Amino acid sequence: MADLVGAGSGGTGQPAAIDIGGMFGPLARAQYGAMFRLRWEMFRSGLRSIHGILDLGATGIAWMIYAFLGVLLGTGMGIATYYLVSEAEWRFLPILFWVLCFLWQMIPVMLASYQEQFDLGILLRFPVRFGSYYLLYLVFGLLDVSTILGAVSCLGMWIGVAVARPELLPWTTFALAAFAAFNVLLVRAIFAWIERWLRQRKTREILGAVFMVALLSLQLMNPAIYRKRHSGRSHSQQQAEQLQAAKERYKPYLQQANAVQKWLPPGLAAQALRESVEQNPAAGMGLLGVLGLYGALAGGILAVRLKSEYRGESLSAAPGRAKSAMGSSKASAGLSASGRESLDRGGARMLGGSGPIAAVIEKDVRALMRTLPLLYAIGAPLLLVLVFSTVFLKNGAVQGPVFPLALPICMVYAQLGFTQVFFNNLGTEGAGIQVYFLSPTPIRTVLLAKNLLHALLFAVVAVVAAVLAAFRLGIPDPAVVAATGAWLVFSLPCNLAAGNIFSIKMPYRVNPGRISRQRGSQANALLSLLVQLGVLAVGASVFALCWFLERMWLAVPIFLLLAVGAVFVWRRVLDNSDALANERRDELMAALMKES
Amino acid sequence: MENAAIQTHGLTRRFGALTAVEDVTLSVASGQFFGFLGPNGAGKSTTIKMLTGLLEPSAGTVEILGRPFGASALDLKRQIGVVPEGMALMGRLTATEYLHFVGRMYGLDRQTTNQRTQELLEFMQLANETKKLVTDFSHGMQKKLALAAAVIHGPKVLFLDEPFEGVDAIAAGMLKTMLTGMINRGATIFLTTHVLEIVERLCSHVAIISQGRLVANGSLEELRAGVASTLPGAEREQRLTLEEIFLAIVGAGGQQEQAQELTWLT
Repeated sequence: MADLVGAGSGGTGQPAAIDIGGMFGPLARAQYGAMFRLRWEMFRSGLRSIHGILDLGATGIAWMIYAFLGVLLGTGMGIATYYLVSEAEWRFLPILFWVLCFLWQMIPVMLASYQEQFDLGILLRFPVRFGSYYLLYLVFGLLDVSTILGAVSCLGMWIGVAVARPELLPWTTFALAAFAAFNVLLVRAIFAWIERWLRQRKTREILGAVFMVALLSLQLMNPAIYRKRHSGRSHSQQQAEQLQAAKERYKPYLQQANAVQKWLPPGLAAQALRESVEQNPAAGMGLLGVLGLYGALAGGILAVRLKSEYRGESLSAAPGRAKSAMGSSKASAGLSASGRESLDRGGARMLGGSGPIAAVIEKDVRALMRTLPLLYAIGAPLLLVLVFSTVFLKNGAVQGPVFPLALPICMVYAQLGFTQVFFNNLGTEGAGIQVYFLSPTPIRTVLLAKNLLHALLFAVVAVVAAVLAAFRLGIPDPAVVAATGAWLVFSLPCNLAAGNIFSIKMPYRVNPGRISRQRGSQANALLSLLVQLGVLAVGASVFALCWFLERMWLAVPIFLLLAVGAVFVWRRVLDNSDALANERRDELMAALMKES
Repeated sequence: MENAAIQTHGLTRRFGALTAVEDVTLSVASGQFFGFLGPNGAGKSTTIKMLTGLLEPSAGTVEILGRPFGASALDLKRQIGVVPEGMALMGRLTATEYLHFVGRMYGLDRQTTNQRTQELLEFMQLANETKKLVTDFSHGMQKKLALAAAVIHGPKVLFLDEPFEGVDAIAAGMLKTMLTGMINRGATIFLTTHVLEIVERLCSHVAIISQGRLVANGSLEELRAGVASTLPGAEREQRLTLEEIFLAIVGAGGQQEQAQELTWLT
């Protein structure tokens, strides 16, 4: 105790005398050190369990994949930049910057569910300056896959310029650094604001609805634009003529768009490089200055959001505060008519039965409708169906009346969207997982209900994807339809069976209010991907064999035979699920009740 | 004990090298309001988890209503209600939806679930909060909802882990009335709390656990007499409060002297 007293400031109740200073003052530096030490200790603690080691291994593999992608992307960007700079094709340079900017903003959304991120909210109870909070938010964001891929791409572009025109290196360095800084700030600002909206129920539901409507609208809008091209898509000559006509038609719009994009960050970065080539450093500096202003604007938008968080904003409680005060006065006077009405509505029938299966399905449907990350995961593959079908159309890959394998490919993507739903089917339960262990309902029943719901949801998404694919690419061959359907009958129980095991053995809590910063399980993500690839490989082999033999119908009995085995395995897994869940009960509850 | 609602024998739970609960043998009679006390980290929640089937004991046996967990686990779960440590709530549901879900998981039919949900929400003064998601509830409201969920199926044995934590005085009074009513109708309640006044007022029997071991067990009067017998002559005549009994048994008296040494605290 004597030491403690000596460390204080003479028994005044103040902490030991550390100069508070600015965001790089002694206190701030001590706090940064503590934060990095905390991360390191958390990392080390994670290695104490087998699951932690497995997760580390999976993270390593995931990073190897990201590194491979980064090298590919960086090399591609480098070669493209080299070509454009050495050939002086300056008008196309902005395209590279736009592509990079788009990827930088989109990758975090695509990989959100698989990246564990640290919640800096815990810092708010300590005497941390806003500047330090902001800085840490940015620094921890630098470990994002998107930032690393973006930085590697910038490096590739820098090398491309260095090889093509070494004298441009100083300018290129400034331009790329400013562009990278802008992207880092923009991506953090976008996510900070999206998460702010997701934290409120109303905005979350509006955002969910807008997302789903946008998804479907895109699907319908694109074919309407290309309707005329459908009829002639097998004739490349006609396609080229149509493309030329479209170019002529849209030329004025493209020129206007070009005039605008010049003043946007990717255009500014490209233009600054061009000005340096044309020996116009003042203009180049000016453009870089404007790019800097964009970065400052993005940083300012981020600061507004973080400032609110820093001040202790609690969005989940805010909207209900006034109502709560009203509610308590009403409650003391007895239940109001509106209260009774809401009670009745709450108990409105969704499913006829009153058994546990119906209860789990009903509860999961309600929870799903309020969980944007899962809705996004389920809906996103439909977007990919749109993208791929557009690629097939534009590349002229469609032969004859229909691209023969479009339907199975669309189904594969539709199924990919259900990865999180199938393989972490208890992830949204949180502390509610205890209800399953406390109630007399066996875990088998719970998993059966979830499997039935997920299979039904998948069927809906698969039908929508199939209809959209048919709408965009034409009606597929009946044999392909039957073979695809049979493959789904095989693959679905495979995924559900493996999903049930992973959900119990490697669960992770899904935070329903967040698209990014999910605390995921890399081991679950990687192994579920391997299972899906395995199922896909079986399907592809059978398809290839039947295609080679020119007997696509043969795939149907083969898949159905495999499906019998898959259903048997699925039932065995269900039958053993109680034993498995009881064996893993502590770990399961600890993982799902963990605060994110 | 003939009519024991809860009976354990040599109950032990180890987490690796740590023994959280060791050799706990106790018996709670049917219709008893039983207080289970202990300092932080003593093993109270671990014991409740083992008693309710949430945690497998490393050794020892548990019998609820005369039957062991295991083969009859599902049937036993129909007879017990639990407010566990983490409250077992589902944040994405409203209170009504959550109670509906829990009721049906316990096998109640839809009509009974509807009726009980309505009555419980009214009783807990949550009936005007039916549009709000559980995640937006205050801590006290969540506690009330967790308690409502624990009793919706009319359990014979109720396990409560810190049910009064964060609950306002009005609601606490209401909960006490409800729990006393349950006891009067023959239910058994196993309560852990740090609010010793509540235990003193409600519980007829108390057990104290410290560092995983049961260090006292009996009626309040028995504990009082036991502690008083260790005191010097004059003090023996005083009527000891539960707090004094508790401090005497778990040996925390020295902490007051230690606290006096923190002279830098204002």
